[in-house]
Amino acid sequence: MSALDDFSLALKSFAGFTSGLINPTVRLGVTGLSRSGKTVFITALIHALMTQGKLPLFTALSEGRIRKVSLAAQPDDTVPRFPYEDHLAALTGENRHWPESTKRISELRLVIEYESNVAWLGGPSTLTIDIVDYPGEWLLDLPLLDKTYAEWSRETLALAKVKPRAPLATDFLAAVSAANASLSADEMQARTVAESFTLFLRSCRDESVSLSSLPPGRFLLPGDLEGSPALTFAPLDSLSDIPDPTSLQAMMERRFEAYKSHIVRPFFRDHFARLDCQIVLIDALSALNAGPSAVADLENALGDVLKAFRTGRNSVLAKLFAPRIDRVLFAATKADHLHHSNHDKLEAIVRTLVDRAASRAEGTGAKIDVAAIAAIRATREVSAKQGKNTVPCIAGIPLAGETMGNEKFDGLAEAAVFPGDLPDNPITILEAGAKPLDLRFLRFRPPISEYHADGRLKAFPHIRLDRSLEFLLGDRLK
Amino acid sequence: MTEHRKPAVFRLDPPSGSAALSKSKSRNAPVVIDDADDFTNVEPSLPIEAPSLKKTNHFSIWTKLFWSSLTGLISMAIGLWFWRLTEDLFRTNNAAGWIGLALLSLALIALLVLVIREVRSLFRLSAVTAIRQDAEAAFEGDHGDKAKDVIQRLLQFQSSDPQTASQRNAMQGYMAEIIDGRGLIMLADRTLMQPRDELAKAAIAAAAKRVSIVTAISPRALVDILFVAAQSVMLTRRIAEIYGTRPGNLGFLRLARKILGHLAITGGVAITDSVLSQIVGHGMAARLSAKLGEGVLNGLLTARVGLACIAVCRPLPFLAIEEPKLQDVAGEILSNPFGKS
Repeated sequence: MSALDDFSLALKSFAGFTSGLINPTVRLGVTGLSRSGKTVFITALIHALMTQGKLPLFTALSEGRIRKVSLAAQPDDTVPRFPYEDHLAALTGENRHWPESTKRISELRLVIEYESNVAWLGGPSTLTIDIVDYPGEWLLDLPLLDKTYAEWSRETLALAKVKPRAPLATDFLAAVSAANASLSADEMQARTVAESFTLFLRSCRDESVSLSSLPPGRFLLPGDLEGSPALTFAPLDSLSDIPDPTSLQAMMERRFEAYKSHIVRPFFRDHFARLDCQIVLIDALSALNAGPSAVADLENALGDVLKAFRTGRNSVLAKLFAPRIDRVLFAATKADHLHHSNHDKLEAIVRTLVDRAASRAEGTGAKIDVAAIAAIRATREVSAKQGKNTVPCIAGIPLAGETMGNEKFDGLAEAAVFPGDLPDNPITILEAGAKPLDLRFLRFRPPISEYHADGRLKAFPHIRLDRSLEFLLGDRLK
Repeated sequence: MTEHRKPAVFRLDPPSGSAALSKSKSRNAPVVIDDADDFTNVEPSLPIEAPSLKKTNHFSIWTKLFWSSLTGLISMAIGLWFWRLTEDLFRTNNAAGWIGLALLSLALIALLVLVIREVRSLFRLSAVTAIRQDAEAAFEGDHGDKAKDVIQRLLQFQSSDPQTASQRNAMQGYMAEIIDGRGLIMLADRTLMQPRDELAKAAIAAAAKRVSIVTAISPRALVDILFVAAQSVMLTRRIAEIYGTRPGNLGFLRLARKILGHLAITGGVAITDSVLSQIVGHGMAARLSAKLGEGVLNGLLTARVGLACIAVCRPLPFLAIEEPKLQDVAGEILSNPFGKS
């Protein structure tokens, strides 16, 4: 990161600090790898706050100190607004379905009018919350800032040649060996390699493999930049130390640098470094479903994500010149796919996954918490008697087309599922050569919306959304 | 680890029906039971169990022997006396004898009820301590099942007070949701205890104010002392009732001992946290009149007794709510000792 970046960041945070004295603003970052449930989480969070839903552990609300929660105009004119209304309509409409996933950064401003109960300074107050939603894949790019093209090439190729990825990488590796780095640059050749690289990255994200740590992130979620030169590069083999400026290697290197300076760095400077608190959503269940290599890969990805957090407590000086995230919540989403007796085990697994990185962040002062949550709870709990045993099940309406055993669901019938038991000891799934767990999760439809007597929509049922809110915002609504 | 259970799926045909599954209808065809979202795995509402009373015995075995044999002798003497009395009554007049016998049995029944009541009140007092300890353990360890168990006991404990009905109902609702142990205890603190705390604080403030006014206008020091003592006793009873402890006479004695113990321990701490306001308050008031200053001091003493009583009687430790301080309950007698509001 250049000195100029640091300076402009300092200016921005100084401006933020001075205006924050009069009108406190919290920037809440919501991220997670794709399919981890970011969009649903944000929609449910806003809806729960606006309808003042059932959030007993969210102190400010349960003490009746929140007067009004409303949406306000967007502060950053260049960032798209989070389409809350559309997503809510998708969840509650005639043909209710889960909303489309996040493909780019978006933002929404929420204003909470509340009564403060702090001695001396109590009374009516306002807290502005800017929810910043961005794909977690982008965070995996941040370690790239410190790497040169040659280093990155070497690491990526090495990873592609070892086990979980090797079978997916055959085409890509063939394309790499076909391209000659020292020959003169040819756009078509560059495109062929880049396309096979992108395909390789996509296949790694596939449900059956569920691998997580795959920079560069924009290759998976290109947004508006699809096809631009900054996204048309790939790692190459047999690189020379001083490449010929007209060679393919030099072109790739230029594009790699352009990717860093035009895509990664602005995101870091303009959005990420200004966050105050962060929730990282983790779809641990998919990784568990896909097997030990996916879990190990998720752990690596989380390590990279945490390296990106410039965490630390907000001291007065630090506030003036470098805002740091002071709270990070790792939320294992889709907890409603498990019976509550397994939630503690899920939390233990996630805690183990983030432990390495979390201990480092805690050392620098950020508060870290782990929770198994479901922003919208699509299931209820039942128990099924099978012979002599009683198994704790969850019941819901599986999505049309979901299959399990020889059952195929039509999206209307309800089913009770016993997804299997999580291990008592979280370490067992991280050990090398661990056996895949015998688990199977179904995807359920959103719950049927419920209405108050006067026709207003009731808040969605949830699991531990209130605890998450209390952890992230509780102190700021005192 | 328990035996491995394989993932399974069961189709529910009626929206939330109980049977009719599409799996093979063999004899061990699974049956799905709707839990109606109420998954308290623990046995509901355990009766309050009094843990053994821990007594510290300073007496030697001979002293104990002496007292127990003496009390045995005395009770036999009393029993004999009543027996003789009834016999005498029968000898003088048959009707009088029957009346005497009836009165005696009534007295015995009443005595039995009184004894049972006292014992129960003692048990309730120990139950408070047990609940508090278990709640603290459940909070520290974030144990969901333990927390549910403790709260069930607490609900049982409060169930005799109809004023707490709506709060108990709300708490039952929370217990049917997926909330962790720590969260449940905090919710119990806020839902069940906070309204009680407000009542207790109001009672303390009122008593402290009464004491300070009476002391300020009373002519004799003896009157002051008696009044403070009487108010402290009343206040203790009132607070114990607010939290549902309902101590009997023996229970009250134990409670008083606990409160005195608590005062002895916390007195020093409390002085440091409120010494400034006491000196300032006392100084201001004393400048107006020595008697008024005494009134303020006595009021503070009563308030402190009340706070100690909260600490002893409250079935949950202060976890979600801040513990009331001397200023919270005695602020008014410091700032406005004349009590004109």
